[in-house]
Amino acid sequence: MGRLLFILVLAMPLAGFAAAPEKVLHLALSAAETGFDPVMTSDLNTASIEQQLFESLLTYDYLARPARLVPRLAADMPTVTDQGRTWVFRLKHGVYFAPDPVFKGARREAVAQDVIYTLMRFMDPKNRSPYKFLVEGKIIGLDELAEAARRSGHFDYDAKIPGLEALDRYTLRVRLKTTDYNFAHAMAQPMYGIVAREVIEAYAGDTASHPVGTGPYHLVRWVRSARMVLERNPYFRHETWNFEAGDDPDNRRIAALMRGKTIPQIDRIDIQVIEEPQSVWLSFGKGELDMVGLAGQFAPLALQGDHLQPKYAARGIRLDRISDPSIAYYFINQQDPVLGGMSPEKIALRRAIFMAQNDEEMIRVIDKGQAIRNAYPIPAGVAGADPGYRSVLDYNPELANRLLDQTGYARGPDGYRRMPDGSPLAVRYTSSLSSQDRELDEMMKKALDRLSIRFESEKLKFPEILKTERQCHVQIRLSAWIADYPDGDNFMQLWYGPHIHENNASCYQDPQWDRLYEQTLTLPDSPERNVLYHQLARLLELKGVTKVSTTHIRNVLSQPWVLGFKPHPILPSVWAYLDIDTARAPRE
Amino acid sequence: MAQPNASPGLWTLAWRRLQRDRVGMVSLAVVVAYLCVVFLALGGWIARDWTREVGVNYAPPVFFPADQDETAIPLGKSIALPDQVDLYGLQDPLAPQLEAIRARHPDEARSIPERRQLTLPLGGDKWGHDVLTKVIKGSETSILVGLVAALLATVLGTVMGAVSGYFGRWVDDSFNWLYGVFTSIPYLLLIFAIAAVLQQKGVSTIILILGLTGWTGVFRLVRAEYLKHKSREYVLAAGAMGASHARRMFIHILPNTSHVILVQLSQNVVGFIKSEVILSFLGFGVPVDVVSWGSMLNEAQNELILGKWWQLAAAGTAMAILVTAFSLLTDALRDALDPKLKY
Repeated sequence: MGRLLFILVLAMPLAGFAAAPEKVLHLALSAAETGFDPVMTSDLNTASIEQQLFESLLTYDYLARPARLVPRLAADMPTVTDQGRTWVFRLKHGVYFAPDPVFKGARREAVAQDVIYTLMRFMDPKNRSPYKFLVEGKIIGLDELAEAARRSGHFDYDAKIPGLEALDRYTLRVRLKTTDYNFAHAMAQPMYGIVAREVIEAYAGDTASHPVGTGPYHLVRWVRSARMVLERNPYFRHETWNFEAGDDPDNRRIAALMRGKTIPQIDRIDIQVIEEPQSVWLSFGKGELDMVGLAGQFAPLALQGDHLQPKYAARGIRLDRISDPSIAYYFINQQDPVLGGMSPEKIALRRAIFMAQNDEEMIRVIDKGQAIRNAYPIPAGVAGADPGYRSVLDYNPELANRLLDQTGYARGPDGYRRMPDGSPLAVRYTSSLSSQDRELDEMMKKALDRLSIRFESEKLKFPEILKTERQCHVQIRLSAWIADYPDGDNFMQLWYGPHIHENNASCYQDPQWDRLYEQTLTLPDSPERNVLYHQLARLLELKGVTKVSTTHIRNVLSQPWVLGFKPHPILPSVWAYLDIDTARAPRE
Repeated sequence: MAQPNASPGLWTLAWRRLQRDRVGMVSLAVVVAYLCVVFLALGGWIARDWTREVGVNYAPPVFFPADQDETAIPLGKSIALPDQVDLYGLQDPLAPQLEAIRARHPDEARSIPERRQLTLPLGGDKWGHDVLTKVIKGSETSILVGLVAALLATVLGTVMGAVSGYFGRWVDDSFNWLYGVFTSIPYLLLIFAIAAVLQQKGVSTIILILGLTGWTGVFRLVRAEYLKHKSREYVLAAGAMGASHARRMFIHILPNTSHVILVQLSQNVVGFIKSEVILSFLGFGVPVDVVSWGSMLNEAQNELILGKWWQLAAAGTAMAILVTAFSLLTDALRDALDPKLKY
C-alpha cells in the first residue's frame, strides 16, 4: 500500500506536466511526387511539399488578395535601381539549414553565396531545369557561364560573374541584362528555394532524395510515390503569425484565431499519395484526412450550389472555394510525325481534333460544374487575362469534319479516316491510370469518334507522363497549368520555342510566335502587351498548337479542427500557417 | 437382319444423366441463352451501337423515374459555320479551305437539335449510353475473355500435365518446378504484375494474362491422371503395338481424362469471367473503346456515390446469373461425366 501511494505521488506531478499532444496534419496528394530537388521540379504536388522544406528570397502574403509579394528569406523587399536592372537583396540573419549529416553536427547558416549557388544551378545544363526560364537570358554573365558549361561539360560554380555578387555575407546584388518586370515573382517560387552547395555535392546523383532547406519543416520519411512525413525543422527561426487581415471578415476570423502564434504550429505533416478521388473522399469522411481538394465527381455529393451540403456543414466541416488561376488545355506535339508540321493538312487535322472537344460537356459531366469555360491562355485573376476572348476552336464537329474532308482525310472502307496519302490515321492520347483519367479518355474517344478518327490510348504514371512530355514523345494530352506568379508571362512561356524539353510540352517552335513573345518580355502589364498576348493566343489556335479548355474551381474541405486555413491562389501550400485544435482532432 | 443394339458411349450416358438433372438443365439453358446473346452481339445483330448517346446523362430506368439530375440535358447542338472572330491582324493558314467550305455551304449558320430520351429501359450512364445495350455488349467481352482464356489455360495445362505425368523423371521435375514458381505467387498479384509489365491494354492482353497464369490447376490434375494411366494395360498394349509416345498420350490416355479436363475448363471459365471483371474494375482491363461487365462496374463506383445505382445493378446481376448458372452446370457436368456413375 505504501509503495502504491509512493508511485501515485510520483505520478501526479508527471501528469500535471504531460507533454502537449502532438499536432499532426494528414493530407493526400492526388499524384505521385517527382523528387525533392527544387531545380528539377515542375509539378504542383511536389512544389507543395518543397514550399515547406525550402525558402525562396520572397513569397506571397498569406491573406492579401490579389496576391502581394513579401520577404521570406530576405530581411525586407529588395532595393531596385537602374530602371529595374539592379536588385539588392538583404538576407535575414540567423537562418539555418535543417540538420543533415553533411553538416557534421554543426549549424549551417544560409548566406548570400548560397543564393548565388542556387541561382546558378538553374542554368547548369546537367540539371535541365523546367524553371530555368525564370533566369535564362536575364542575369549578366550567367548565360555565358551556361554556354561554357555546355562546351566543357562542367559548370564552374566558383566563377565570378557581374550579374551575381555577394556584397557581404548577407547581401546579394543581382544585375539583369534588361528590365524584367517579373524578376521579383521569380524569386518567390518554391523551386528557387535556397540550397547548400555541400549538400548538393555530397548527394550528387541523388539530390532528389535529400532535400535540405531552411523551411519550417524537414523530410523525415519518404516512401516513393506512397508516403512523405515532414516534421518541424528544429533549427527554424522564431517567427510569429502576424499577417494583416484588412477589412475582409474571413481574414479577420482567421487572424483572431492565429495572431501571435509561432510558425509553424503543426508538429508533423503526414502526406499519402492517393490517386483515386473516391478513396480520398472516403478517408476524409472518416476523419483520416484533415484537408482535401474536392474532386469534381464528388461535388454533387458535397455541395449544394456554391455551398456545403447542410449535413457536412453541421459536422463543422469548412468549404473554401476559389476560381484557380489555372488553365486546362489540350496540346498537340508539333514534332510528332503524324500530327506535327505546318502544312495546311496537318494544321487542319489538329484544329479539327480541337474543334471536336466538347468543353461544355466536360464541365457538366466530368467536372460536375466545378470548372468554367475559358478559351484564353491567361486565366482570370492573372495580369493579362481576357474573360471575353472568343476562340476559333469552339466545339464544332460539323466544321471539323468538313475541314478534314476538304484537306483530303477521306474515310476508308472501315469507316475511319486515313491520311491524305492513304496511310492509316490514329491519334494516341496520353493519360494516367486513375479512374478520373479514364473519363478523360472517354471524352477524347468521343471527340475522335465524331471525326471518324481511330483512338489509341497510352497509359502512364504521372511522373512518367511529365518525362515523356519533355522528350516530345507525347502526341496529344489534356494538361493543366496553375499560376506560379500572377502574370500572363507565366502562361505564355509554355509555348516559347527555347522552352522545349522544359515547359513547352507542345514542342512548338515558331519564329513568328517567339518574336512576338520576346516583345512582351520588354513590356509591363499594359494594353500594348495585351495586344501582343492576343496575337500569341490566336496564333496558337490558328496553327493548331493548343486549345485552352477550362479554368478549374478549387473547393477545399477542411475538418473542424483545422484552424487558420484560407486557400491561396499562388502559393502551392500554406501548411506552416495552420494550426490544429487537438481537443477536437481525433487521437492518433 | 436386325442389328444388335449398340451399347451407349461415354458421352451418350453423360448426356442422359445430365438430362435427368433439372438444375443442370436449367443452368445449361441459361448458359446457352447467354452464348446466343454473345454470338448475336459478335455478329453485330444486337447492341452494335452501344456507343450511341440515346438518353440524357444518367437517365434513370423506365421503372424508376427518379428525380432528374440537374446535369441532364434533353437537347444538344452542333453548329455548322461559326461567326467570324477577330484574328488580331493575323493571317489564317486555313483561310482558303474555310472559304471553300463557306462557298459550298453558304446558308449554314444553324443549330442542329439533338433529342435525347429522359428514361431508358435499364437506365443510362454519364454520357447517356443505354445500360441495357452496354450489358449485352459487355457480355460479349466478358464471356469471350472467359471462354478463350479458359481454353488457352486448359490447353497449356493439359499439354504440360500430360508430358510431365507421362515422361516423369527430370521432365516431371522441371514442370513441377515451374508449377511451384507460379503457385507460390498469390494469383491476383501475379496477374497484376504481368498486366503492369505488358502495359498494353486490350482484350487479347487480358486473355493472354489469364491464360498464362491460369494453367496450374489443370496441370496438377492432368499430371496426376497421366501418372495413374500410363502404366495401365491399355496403354502398355498400345505401346506393344508400336504406338508412338504422342499417340499413347493424346489418342489413348487423353479421352480417359477428358471428364477432368472438361470440368476444369468450365470452372476456369467462371473464374476468368470474374478475373476480367476484377482486372477491369481495377483499371488494368479493357481499353476505353471496349465495354465489359468489369469496366461497367469500374464506372459504377463513382456513380454509386452519386446515387446512380442502375449500371452497377445491371452489370452485377448479369454477371451473377451467368456465374451461378455456370457453376451449377459445372457441378452437373462433373456428376454426369463421372465414369463410376453408370446411370
